[in-house]
Amino acid sequence: MKIRLSKDLRAHILAHLQSTYPNEGGGFLLGSFDAEGATLADFSPVNNSFAEAEQFHRYAMTPLEYAKHEDAADERGLMLLGWYHSHPDSPAVPSSYDLNAAVQGTGVNFLWLIAQIDQAQAVDLRAYQLRPEKDGFNELRLVDF
Amino acid sequence: MPSIKIPTPLRAYTGGNIQVPVTGSTIRAVLDDLTTQYPDIKPHLFNNSELRSFVNIFVGDEDIRFLDGLDTPLEASDALRIIPSIAGGQDLPRRIDQTGLRVGMAVTIIALLVAFVLNLWPLVLLVAVAQLLGGLDSPYAPYKLFYQNVLKPRGLVKPNVITDNPEPHRFAMLVGAGFNFAATLTLLTGATVLGWSLVWVVIALANLNFWVNFCVGCYVYYQLGKFSVPGFNRAPLS
Repeated sequence: MKIRLSKDLRAHILAHLQSTYPNEGGGFLLGSFDAEGATLADFSPVNNSFAEAEQFHRYAMTPLEYAKHEDAADERGLMLLGWYHSHPDSPAVPSSYDLNAAVQGTGVNFLWLIAQIDQAQAVDLRAYQLRPEKDGFNELRLVDF
Repeated sequence: MPSIKIPTPLRAYTGGNIQVPVTGSTIRAVLDDLTTQYPDIKPHLFNNSELRSFVNIFVGDEDIRFLDGLDTPLEASDALRIIPSIAGGQDLPRRIDQTGLRVGMAVTIIALLVAFVLNLWPLVLLVAVAQLLGGLDSPYAPYKLFYQNVLKPRGLVKPNVITDNPEPHRFAMLVGAGFNFAATLTLLTGATVLGWSLVWVVIALANLNFWVNFCVGCYVYYQLGKFSVPGFNRAPLS
């Protein structure tokens, strides 16, 4: 499975995550699934609602933010395909905290993009999907167009 | 008949349906109806009979956890929806923004020098309060607000996030606050030599930290930790 996104969209997502450094940032990924995987069409930044003192290593959004962005995506005929968040000064690989959130919350039908932001500069962006066994993530191919 | 909005990640289990008409006069009853219509969705909503902690049910803008939970009564016109919690983060980081700490040290040094030169005990008290709020990690800590809202957005200083325990640095700030509170009281009693000596201890330690990067308060914190003093339980990071 591969995830297609334009170079502009990649740049905008990373610019958002650089702007929230040294805290974690995040938002939604909008687009559509297709035969080969998924194509991202847009993104929606969402404020980090985690306790401010912990935002350097934690991100959360409120349920009402989720509802608002899902309604907007549905109205546009796009799907809320998944979400993205940053790992400031840490590798763009899912943590055990991420795994628990995916297992308990978003499940296997939601894409995860994780960006490594070092010293306010994006150095890596990777895509993941929870495995059906729910014991970890599979990394997906990110393809620019 | 109420209907329930299915979140995108769970629509695979409702045949792609976004809104599912359901019957029932409580949340429990309509979820029973939903899971009867679409059994595959059940394990994604419940752990045994308990609603999963990362699954939220909203009636309008209200989370049922703040109403009567699964026993929340429903009207036919109620808009119901399932919302997954979205959260993420990192495992280990113990991080501090060294620039933020250095800004605090610089302001402390300058303010205390000004207080000494102009013989202003209220300025010592202000620094003590700022250090106390910083040490308690208050969102109203003046140094943090100055750094986050004034210096950083204007690009006047650059964040320098490093891996370290924040607790010893907060303890160091509390020690500084303690010295400055003691100095204020001493100055008010007229013992100016002792009062300003206490202030100069803080100036010296802040300079040592600012210029040489040696945090005496942190060192004391870790020494107390070695003697298993309660509350000093962070070990130095390698």
